Amino acid sequence: MMDQHEDPKFEHWLKDVAKSYHAPHPTPREAIWKRIEDARRNKRVIELRPWMRWAVAAAAVLILGVGIGRWTARQPAPSSRATTVAAADSTTSAQSDLIYQMAATQYLSHTEAFLTSFRADVGSHGTSNGARFARQARDLLSTTRLMLDSPAGRDQRLRSLLEDLELVLVQISQSQGGHDRDLITQGMNQSNVLPKLRSAIPAGPVPVRTEGAL
Amino acid sequence: MDESQLIARVRAGDSAAERALYDAHVDRVYRLAFRLAGDDALAQDFTQETFIRAFDRLGTFRGDAAFSTWLHTITTTVVLNGLRKVKRFRQREADIDDAHDIGVTQRHAEPDLKARLKQAIDNLPEGYRTVFLMHDVEGYTHEEIGVALGVETGTSKAQLSRARAKLRVALSDFAGEWVT
Repeated sequence: MMDQHEDPKFEHWLKDVAKSYHAPHPTPREAIWKRIEDARRNKRVIELRPWMRWAVAAAAVLILGVGIGRWTARQPAPSSRATTVAAADSTTSAQSDLIYQMAATQYLSHTEAFLTSFRADVGSHGTSNGARFARQARDLLSTTRLMLDSPAGRDQRLRSLLEDLELVLVQISQSQGGHDRDLITQGMNQSNVLPKLRSAIPAGPVPVRTEGAL
Repeated sequence: MDESQLIARVRAGDSAAERALYDAHVDRVYRLAFRLAGDDALAQDFTQETFIRAFDRLGTFRGDAAFSTWLHTITTTVVLNGLRKVKRFRQREADIDDAHDIGVTQRHAEPDLKARLKQAIDNLPEGYRTVFLMHDVEGYTHEEIGVALGVETGTSKAQLSRARAKLRVALSDFAGEWVT
C-alpha cells in the first residue's frame, strides 16, 4: 500500500535532479593511494601509542584527585593533608609530561581542523577569508612556539612535526591571498603535513580525542 | 581470487593484496565521501582515513557482513565526524564574521533549481541528509544504510521518507517540473 506522503512522480524527478548535488569527480586513485602509503609509513614513526590513552586518562583522574586533595587539605585535617601532599609530590613529574601530551593532542587536533578548513577554502577559491585565516594562524603559531619550548617539544618526532607546522602557519599568517595561498597548499601537499598531523592524533576516549576542542 | 582470500592475504601482510582491496572499493568510498562533503580535498582526506582505519582494524573484521558493508560503516563514521569538526570550526568563524557584518544588507538573485536543491539538501538534518544521499543518490539499500549508520532498517526508511517530504516542500516552486 502506498504511503499517503509518497509521490512517485516527485521521487523520480528528485532522484534525477539530485544527481547534480555534489557530483563526484573521477576518483584520484593514485593520489589517494600514495597519501595512504605515506600516512601509514609516518604513522609507524610518530604515532602516540595506544597505551598513552590509558596513561592520559589515568593522569586526568590523578590530577582530579590531587585537585580534590588540595581542596580538602584546606580543611582542618592535618593527617590527611600530609598524605595528600606526599602523593602529589611523587607524581608531579609524570603528570607534567602527560599534561603536556594532552595539550599537544588538543593543539594538534585544532591545527588539523584549521589546516583542513584552510585548504578547503583555497580549493573553493574563497577570497574573503584571508584575514580570518591569517589571524587564526597567528594564534596557532603562538601555541606552536610554546609547544616547541615545552616538554612536548623534547620528543624529536613531535618536534619535527611542530617545526613543519610552524613554517606553514607563518606562511598563512603572512599570506597576501591568491597565488600565495595556492603555493601554501602545494607546499602542504608536498610535505604531507596533514597526513603526518593526523597520524600524530590518537583515536581514543574523549579526553584524548579532544572532542569539543574546537 | 575471492574477497575473503584477498582479505586473508592483507592480514598476512601482502601489500599487493592491500592495493587490490583498495582498488576494488575506493570508487564507492570516494563517491560517498564526495557526495557528503561536496569538496574534493575533504573527500580525499576522508577516503584516505577510511582505508587507513580499515587496514589497521582488518583483524577485527569477522566476515559476518560483507566487507563493503563494514567498510562503508567506517566511511560514514569518518565522514560524518570529519564534517562535524569542520562545521563547528566554520560556524565559530561565521559567528565572528556575522558580528562584524551587522548592518550590512545583501541582495541575492533568485536562485535556480540547482542552487535551491543544494540549499534544500544542505538544510536537511544530518540523519535525513545522509540517508537521502546514500539511498536516492548513491543507490545503497536500506539494509546497507542501517548497518553503516547503526540504525534499524525501518529508521532508515522513515528518515528517507521525511527527507523527501522536506525536500518536496522546499522545492514546491518547481512542482510544475515533476507534475508534468
